[in-house]
Amino acid sequence: MKKRILLLGLLFVAGIFSLIGCGGKEKVKIAETTETPETKILKVSEAFSIENLNPHQDYQGWYTSIYGLTQSLFQINEQSAVVPVLAENTEVEGNVWTITIKEAASFSNGTPVTSEMVIRNLQKAGTMNARFTYFTKYTYEVVDDKTFKIVTGEPYPTLLNDLASPELAIVDLDESGDMATQLVATGPFVVSTFEPGGTITVEKNQQYWDGAVQLDGAEFYYMPESSTSLLAMQNGEIDTYTSVTADAAKTLEQEQDRYQLSTVSATRLQFYILNQNRLSDSVRKAINLTVDSSDIEKYLNGSVSATVGPFSSKAAYGQVTKDSVDINAAKLLLEEEGYILNSSGYYEKDGQVLTVNVAYYAARSLDTVAALMQEQLKEIGIKAELTLEEDPDATYIQTGDFDIGLYCMIADKAGDPYYFISCTLAQDAPYNCGGFSNQEAQHLIEELQYEADVEKRAELANQIIQIAIDENAFGYIALFNKTTAMVTGVSNVNENSPFDFYFLNAETNME
Amino acid sequence: MKFYILKRLLYLIPIMIGITFLSFLLLYLAPGDPAQRKLTAQTAVTSDVLEQTREEMGLNRPFLVQYKDWFLNMLQGDLGVSYKDGSPVIVKLTKGMKYTGILAFSSFLLSVVISIPLGIYAAVKKDKLPDSIIKVFCFAGNSLANFLVAVALIYFFCIQTNLFPIIAKGNAQGLFLPTLSLSIPFMSRLITQTRAAVLEQLEQPYVAAARARGMKEIYILFKNVLHNSMISITTVLGLAIGTLLGGSVVTERIFMWPGIGKLVMDSIQARDYPVIQGFVMIMTGIYIIVNLLVDISYHFLDPRVKE
Repeated sequence: MKKRILLLGLLFVAGIFSLIGCGGKEKVKIAETTETPETKILKVSEAFSIENLNPHQDYQGWYTSIYGLTQSLFQINEQSAVVPVLAENTEVEGNVWTITIKEAASFSNGTPVTSEMVIRNLQKAGTMNARFTYFTKYTYEVVDDKTFKIVTGEPYPTLLNDLASPELAIVDLDESGDMATQLVATGPFVVSTFEPGGTITVEKNQQYWDGAVQLDGAEFYYMPESSTSLLAMQNGEIDTYTSVTADAAKTLEQEQDRYQLSTVSATRLQFYILNQNRLSDSVRKAINLTVDSSDIEKYLNGSVSATVGPFSSKAAYGQVTKDSVDINAAKLLLEEEGYILNSSGYYEKDGQVLTVNVAYYAARSLDTVAALMQEQLKEIGIKAELTLEEDPDATYIQTGDFDIGLYCMIADKAGDPYYFISCTLAQDAPYNCGGFSNQEAQHLIEELQYEADVEKRAELANQIIQIAIDENAFGYIALFNKTTAMVTGVSNVNENSPFDFYFLNAETNME
Repeated sequence: MKFYILKRLLYLIPIMIGITFLSFLLLYLAPGDPAQRKLTAQTAVTSDVLEQTREEMGLNRPFLVQYKDWFLNMLQGDLGVSYKDGSPVIVKLTKGMKYTGILAFSSFLLSVVISIPLGIYAAVKKDKLPDSIIKVFCFAGNSLANFLVAVALIYFFCIQTNLFPIIAKGNAQGLFLPTLSLSIPFMSRLITQTRAAVLEQLEQPYVAAARARGMKEIYILFKNVLHNSMISITTVLGLAIGTLLGGSVVTERIFMWPGIGKLVMDSIQARDYPVIQGFVMIMTGIYIIVNLLVDISYHFLDPRVKE
């Protein structure tokens, strides 16, 4: 009996080892066949995947742009300014925009990009994407093959910023079919294989219109779990990835000869709305004097950078100031309002403890921020009660039922401040749910809406945000960092761009 | 038996209606707006755009009208399209089920092949060294978080020993680690159950009688004891099939396995109701059929069990 069991055990172990042995052999084979020095294939992991390649649908243009497949007429550079890509130059007279396309601009099949095709793309994106429906309402005029006019209903100074949106990518609509698995566009790369919801491989666009493409191709692996990306990087199976967590960055930093890390403040903002209908001026100011963004930045371990305003301080429209943290001044303000510190360490007035309701949701580290704010407010004697909601938009943002409402959103989506300001500070704006109402700010917002001069726009934006800060309507906490990890030798993956939707480009290279 | 199977299959109809109605109601009542999730995945939108999208998605219709339309379409094999990306739900679920099915089958097979012999062996060697080692394995397998097991497997098999690549591109190599990760907790439960069932049988008088008659130990174990232990083992196996086919979010995410668990988790986060409804319906069917098969197997394993 014992012998039989021993025999069975040996057979089982032998089976396992033979299975493992097969695996090992095959891996070596893969390594031998694909890692030729002449071929430059960049291996990338991404935390997302898409089901089809239509850049006009939902946010998919972000991803086709990341894969280096699509380009728009314009793009936003690292300083958040609009620069031409397919477009050559632009003229504007009132609400008439005349745009000239670069002579060399062409699709990957060699077909030149024409005015007519660009107009069809804009109209198609307007039909397909609810966020761009206004493009179906504009009128268009083809001047010649490379020049066309867009007539907006009223002056629309941020049209070029909108045209820089990756969702408004220009593709050859006649040759791309339903864009389910193939796409003919203008980017430096073309689709090689595409598995919906999974891996996409791209190869060099042999007919790229704007110079040489350095890489031969790239493979984008869908890895939703960040720990897998880190392990794959350490195992040499990928060359680069973004959205590197703070812990992973610390691990990779220890091997500086193997990996490079690049961190920039991106465009996603953590902020809180102070409800003016419930909190007095003094209490709001006391809260803003207490909440310490630098402490939050330290606690979040490098994944965010403390901010003064909603935009990066590198942008012309990110030049605002706020009072530094001053707990004593905050306490003084409360005492001047008649609050008295009780034996429990909380301020109270008329027998009522000063209690604020902090509404938040458990994403983008807002749960941690809420807990830290609770601690900080306790230090000056304000009792914070935390209310966790699963969906902020359907609850406290909609009802205004909060004292402090935490939220996270992309503040700068296309290199212009108007989008965020119109969403959060304009009267009846969807995120102006804390009762902010300032005549001067509203007047400036209306001016900003139609102002065409970029410098003047930045100046107006700074004034508007400063009013909101001075009125203690909001508290801007931190901007998420965009951290890119690269194996030594990999370069130009748009690692310095604060925008998530740029990655692979013609200059991307690996040694 | 035929009448019994038919009766059980007929139960499927009211159960299916009840469960799909309940899940539809819960999704309807749950906070969160699918249109908002779809549009504001990255940026904010105006209320006009939001309202227009709700209208297009049919979310402004009364609850009962929405459920009726979904149910009638479902009867015709149309589970609708995903709110998230507009692709047909049936295609998404079929693809997810295919991958989950492969992973579930391999995990089930590996677990059965390893666990039942080990469970018997542990029972035979009760309170001796092999039994203690197996008990420690079962304790660890039951206690360790799936996430930890998965990362530890990658660390050992991919990084330390370099036996497997992390990026396996859907081939047989890529199946090994997720299978092992998913099997470890299941194996632990199955070994424990098998050991307990076999121990119970080994104490029965018929075993002593068989030994007294001079029958070989291996014959007693595999012919009598295992056969009589199979009812409780089959119960565990039946439950496991349902669980394995439901997909494992953690395993699928870590090993980049495009199964149903990950699909459903993404759909819940995106409030992709048609996909969630389709999944609920499929899982209801699977659980009912698996339970029916387990019940039928009881009858064959022990004819004393009545219909």
